[in-house]
Amino acid sequence: MMLFIRECKKIFHSLTFIIYFAAVILMFFTQFWPAMDEPVTSSTIDSYELAKISGEPETIMPKALDSLTGCYFSNTYRCYPYGLFKAVHLNSRDNDKIRDCITEMSSLNADELEELKAASSISHVKVGTNELESYNVKGVPLSEDITYERFREIMGEVDDILGGGSDYRPDDLAYKFSQEPMTHEEILEQYDEFMEKDHIAIAYGRLFSDYLGIILAVIPVFVAAALVTADKRTKMNELIYSRRISSFRLVFTRFAALVLTMVIPVLLCGAIASARIMYMYKGSTPDIAGAFEVSGKWLLPDIMLAAAMGMFISELFSAGMAILVQFAAWFMCMMMTSMPLYGHIGRFTFICRHNSLFYRSEFMKHYSDFIFSRIFYTAAALAAVLLTVFVYELKRGGKFNGIMFFGKDSIFRHKT
Amino acid sequence: MALCFSARTVYSDIRHNFLPHYLLAAAIVVITPLFFSVSELDSRQAAQPLEMIISLTGTVLLTPVFMPEQNESIRDLIRSKKAPYLLTCMIRLLIGLLLLAVLTGISVLYMKKCHSQVTFRHFTGTAASAMALGSIGFFTAGVSNNVIIGYMASLLCYILNFIARDKLSIFFIFSMMNGSYDEKKWIFVLSFALILSVFMYFKLIRKY
Repeated sequence: MMLFIRECKKIFHSLTFIIYFAAVILMFFTQFWPAMDEPVTSSTIDSYELAKISGEPETIMPKALDSLTGCYFSNTYRCYPYGLFKAVHLNSRDNDKIRDCITEMSSLNADELEELKAASSISHVKVGTNELESYNVKGVPLSEDITYERFREIMGEVDDILGGGSDYRPDDLAYKFSQEPMTHEEILEQYDEFMEKDHIAIAYGRLFSDYLGIILAVIPVFVAAALVTADKRTKMNELIYSRRISSFRLVFTRFAALVLTMVIPVLLCGAIASARIMYMYKGSTPDIAGAFEVSGKWLLPDIMLAAAMGMFISELFSAGMAILVQFAAWFMCMMMTSMPLYGHIGRFTFICRHNSLFYRSEFMKHYSDFIFSRIFYTAAALAAVLLTVFVYELKRGGKFNGIMFFGKDSIFRHKT
Repeated sequence: MALCFSARTVYSDIRHNFLPHYLLAAAIVVITPLFFSVSELDSRQAAQPLEMIISLTGTVLLTPVFMPEQNESIRDLIRSKKAPYLLTCMIRLLIGLLLLAVLTGISVLYMKKCHSQVTFRHFTGTAASAMALGSIGFFTAGVSNNVIIGYMASLLCYILNFIARDKLSIFFIFSMMNGSYDEKKWIFVLSFALILSVFMYFKLIRKY
């Protein structure tokens, strides 16, 4: 216990923790706080301009097929493989594969497609530096035999041919081709869910976690890396190595201290948000405990994994490598986040997004995946800490001194 | 004599301390076209990979300038030498800036070769953004005497720009993506001010 308290004190007094604290508070007040400007009421909810994704195959299939056919005619496909725009032009072999996909989904053969191309009107659109021909295609007849499952499969093949990130990615089809504004009645249903099922606070808890999750997936790595390398900087390594305490106990105590200290600013923000919610919704009974529960499940695995990776990679390589790896993982997760920013939580989603107070049903649809991902990343964090124990034990025994790519201890250097 | 000293410093630093950073910065430039399209982009689209990815070379190149002497005893040893410590840091910084300009130039020229609509403004704008990220890291690493804090400040600034975007007004480092170039001159001024203040801090407060 003494060791735990000492480690906590060490972290509290470190500059990395102070910056971490400031970053969490900054994120809270600049991103989340504006959502609490005024309470959501049945009369103000219309201002949120909610859209719905019908997801009905009868809506998605014709629109997606028309769009794909138009792109096939012009041989220009807009893709966003890593969040940034990419205009894809296929070679004739791959474009023929797209044609085969279209003929399977539609009742047209290759010759009839050519006739349709000749009959379609052409407009010019600017794609990048080029002004390209865009075919206005409408009403491509769907094959009578095609099922929605097969349609999604074929669209998956199309997305693969295009290199990923296209409008035809099966998971994005519903969002891209069946989005429409909600009617007033549907908006009121959202309000009822907000009041009756989310008990106000749980909806705020999800939005709170959405914003804070963005930075909590990366900045704990700095605090962890600084703590691990502090021993080396202060030349306390040898002294600690010679102590009787087991590596398991030392590393896990440090990990627990890191997680606990880094949870504190999040709890503080949660408490401020709770007070604001209770003030805004006087007369109602917001489920504050439910909000803390959802935020805990959401954010704790993020903090744990980022901290554990920081410890493990810093011990194995260096602090710089830990920062590089975690930042690269964070960047790729952020760039590959699908739109809309709700209803896209998968089994291995690290940075979960639900950027709205509404759409509870979309979140609940993926709730089991959400729970799976949280358990998975918690387990991954604990596995990383166990590996850290192993590496630390090797270092204590003098059998290993970390992996270096450069310098006199480089693994590439020939030793005689 | 001074030239000889500089050459020796450059060689020694590259060999023992900064080669991984230089290679990483070069790797960022090399892998960018593998993941992101750089061909046939208009002016705004071309600014995306430049400002969002290439600007990170600033963090990699400028933040670790004080890294080799993070350990106080090594710093004391270096200070006891005849060669002025701050001059060594200045040479490292200039090499970092030079490399930053070269890598940014290569990226912009490559995009031009790929028929993207890039101009000299894209070069200066990207260099300014990279310099801003780098100088924030350089400043915090210098003042705190901890390179991890330097990386943290620099990458937090990047993340803040990523999330808050144009709410940052004149300090928005991805402004070319929105078609605006005016922010760049402020970013340049801020970068120079940060770099200068670190040297002033060392000279006047720490008496180096």
